[in-house]
Amino acid sequence: MELINSVLNLLFGTDPELRQIISITLQMSFFSTLFSSLIGIPAGVLVGANEFRGKAVLSRIINTLLGLPPVVAGLLVLLLLSRSGPLGNFRLLYTVEAMVIAQVLLITPFITAMTANLVGVNATAINETLVGVGIRGTKRLKYFLLDFRVPFISIILAGFGRSIAEVGAVQMVGGNVQYKTRVMTTAIMMQTNMGRFDFAIALGLILLLISLVVNTVANQIQKAAQGD
Amino acid sequence: MIELKDILVKAKDRLILDVPSLRFEKGKRYGIIGENGSGKTTLLRVLMGTVQPSQGSVGFQTKNDNIGYLPQSPYVFSFSVKRNVSMVLEDSQSRGRLARDVLKKVGLENLADSRGNRLSGGERQRLGLARVLAVPKEVLLLDEPTSATDIRGTDIVEALLQEWFEKTKGLLIFTTHAPAQALRMADEVIFLEEGKVVETGSPQTLFNQPQEPQTQAFLSHWII
Amino acid sequence: MNSLKLNKILILTLISILLVSAFGCTQEPENKVIRMSTTTSVNDSGLMAYLQPEFEKASGYTLEITSAGTGAAIEKARMGDADILLVHSKTAEEEFIGEGFNEERLPFMYNFFVIVGPADDPAGVAGSATAAEAFQKIADSGSTFISRGDNSGTNNKENAIWKSIELDPVGQTWYESVGQGMGQTLTIADEKQAYTLSDKATFLAHEDSLAMHLEETDDMKNTYSTIIVSSARFAESNVAGAQAFVDWLKTEQARKMIAEFGVAEYGEPLFFNNK
Repeated sequence: MELINSVLNLLFGTDPELRQIISITLQMSFFSTLFSSLIGIPAGVLVGANEFRGKAVLSRIINTLLGLPPVVAGLLVLLLLSRSGPLGNFRLLYTVEAMVIAQVLLITPFITAMTANLVGVNATAINETLVGVGIRGTKRLKYFLLDFRVPFISIILAGFGRSIAEVGAVQMVGGNVQYKTRVMTTAIMMQTNMGRFDFAIALGLILLLISLVVNTVANQIQKAAQGD
Repeated sequence: MIELKDILVKAKDRLILDVPSLRFEKGKRYGIIGENGSGKTTLLRVLMGTVQPSQGSVGFQTKNDNIGYLPQSPYVFSFSVKRNVSMVLEDSQSRGRLARDVLKKVGLENLADSRGNRLSGGERQRLGLARVLAVPKEVLLLDEPTSATDIRGTDIVEALLQEWFEKTKGLLIFTTHAPAQALRMADEVIFLEEGKVVETGSPQTLFNQPQEPQTQAFLSHWII
Repeated sequence: MNSLKLNKILILTLISILLVSAFGCTQEPENKVIRMSTTTSVNDSGLMAYLQPEFEKASGYTLEITSAGTGAAIEKARMGDADILLVHSKTAEEEFIGEGFNEERLPFMYNFFVIVGPADDPAGVAGSATAAEAFQKIADSGSTFISRGDNSGTNNKENAIWKSIELDPVGQTWYESVGQGMGQTLTIADEKQAYTLSDKATFLAHEDSLAMHLEETDDMKNTYSTIIVSSARFAESNVAGAQAFVDWLKTEQARKMIAEFGVAEYGEPLFFNNK
C-alpha cells in the first residue's frame, strides 16, 4: 500500500523538518521534566514524609491540580503571557518557553503526588528509625531522597512521557509554528487535519518509539539497581 | 533517670497505655514483657517521644542525642549495609572503617557491601542495632531486638548489649516477646497487660513468686 | 427486593432496549440524508447554518454537515464518507475530480480574501493595486507574516500569490507557518502584530486588534464550488440528494439568501453569487 511506502520513507529518510520537530520536542520535554522534577520531588517528599496541620487540605489541592485539564492549563498560561496579559511584555507567547511553563504547571502536581504516595507508604517506619539515631528535621530529607532514588527515576521518566504526549496546552501556547514551536503531537494533529495520514502515522510511530526507548531505559535502571 | 507520671495514651476510644507512675534508673537493665498489643511498643515510643501521650509527662535527665531507639522492624535503606551504618557517623575519612568495625560486632561484616534491601529480617535487626550503637549512647530503647533473629544472632545481640552495659553503665530498656530473655538480660522486669503495669520486680521474684494472678497466668505459658 | 432480582430486572430492561432500538431503526426506503463535507472557514462563517433550515424545509432532505481543513474535507469524500463537497480550493478540487471521484462541479459563489495586519501598517500594504504587490512590500520590509500552512483554500491562494512574484518565503525569519485554521491563525497574527491573508467573514467575526489593509483585488478572488461525489466509486452515495442541494442553490430564494448574508451584521454581503 502507498501508505506503508510513504510511512517507511518518512521514517528512514532524513527529512530536515522531521529532525527539527523531534529536536524541539525533546528540548521542550527535557526542560519541562527537569523543572517539574526539581520542584515536584522535594515537595512530594516534604508532604509524604511529614505529618502537619493542613496536610489533608494540601493533599486534596495537589490531587485537584493533578486533574487539571491540559487545555485549562494552556488557557491560563495563554492569558498570562498574551500581549494584553500581565506578563505580556516578555513576549513569551508562542515560544518553547511558554510551552515549558504550561507543561510544568501540568506535570509538577503529577510528580509531587506520585512522590508523596511513594514516600508516604514507608514514611512512618523511616521517620521512627531516623529519630532513633538522632536524625531529625531537615536532615531527614537527604535520606528520603537517597532511599527512593531508583523509584524517583521511574517517576521522572513517567513525567517525561506525559510531556512528549501532551498536545492541548502546547498547541494553545506554542502555536505550532513551523521550525519554532512545532512538536510531534501538534504536528500529528496538523497532518491529520490536513488529511495527510501517512505523515501523521509516521510521526505517531516515532513518538511511540521514543516512548518505548524511555520505558526500556527506565526498566534497565530498575533492574540494575536491584541486581547488585 | 526517666520518670513517667500519669501517662495516658488513647486512640479513638481505646486505652492503649495507662501508667500512673514508672521510674527507670541509670545503671540498670529493664525488660518489658507482655502479650502482643499489651502496649510495650507504645511505652517505648512514649519514652522516645515519637508518641505524645494524651496526658501525663515524661521527665528526662539526659540529652536527646544520647538516647538510641531501635524499632522492632528497623528501616533499612536501599544503599549499602556499610552506608546504613556510616550515615549516623560524622563525615570523615574513617567513617567507613568505623562502620565496618561496628558491623563486625553484630556479625554482619561479610554483608558490608551488600544492598540494605537484600537482608533478611534478623540481619536487618542486627544492622539496626549496629546503627544505634555506632555513636555512643547513654540510654538504649530497644523494641524486641531479637524477634526475627535466629539463635546465633540472638546470642550475638545479647552479648553485645551486655558488653555495652558493662562499659557504659547506662540505661537499657528493652521489650521482649520471650520472658526467658528478660530473665537473662534484665535487672528489673515490667509486666504489661492491656496497657497497664501489672507487676514489676526482679526476674527471680517475678518468675518464682509472682504477686499478681495475671502475672502467674502469663508466665505459666512459658517454660523457663 | 434483593440484589439478585434487581440484577435480573436490569438485564431484562437492557435487552429490551437493545431489541427495540435494533428493530425500531428501520432503513428509510429513500435516502433522505445528505452528507456534506465542507471547510472550517465555510462553517465558521455561519453561511451553512443560515441556509440549512430553508433548504431542508423546501426539499424535505436532511443535511448532515461536517467541517474540517480543506485537505481533510476532501479526504472524507475520497473515503466515501460524504455525498457532496463544498470547498474553495481549485487546485485541490481539480485533483479530486481528476481522480474520477465526481459527478459534477459547480462554482456557485465567490468572495475575496483580505490582507490584514497591525493597525499602523508598517509595510505600507494599503493602497496596493494587487495582493502580489502587497506581499512584495511585506517581504521587502521584513514584516512578520503568518501563513496558515495547512493546504487550505486560503493557504493555496496565499502560495499562488507568492509564486506570482517568484518569492519563496519558506525559511525566512519573518515568515511563520502555523498549520492551523483561520481563527487560530488570526489570533497568532494579532499576538505577534503580523500580517496574514484571511477570508473576510472569519476576519470580521474574529476579535482582535488587526486592521484590514487590502481587499477585492483580482488576485484575491476566492471561488466556492459544490462537487457531487460520484456513485461510480461509492454505490450508496446519495447523488439524488446532492443534486437536489445543487439545484436549490440555483433558485431565486437561495441566491437572494446568499446575497443578503452578513448585510445586517456587517453592512455588506460576505458572499457573491456567480452569474
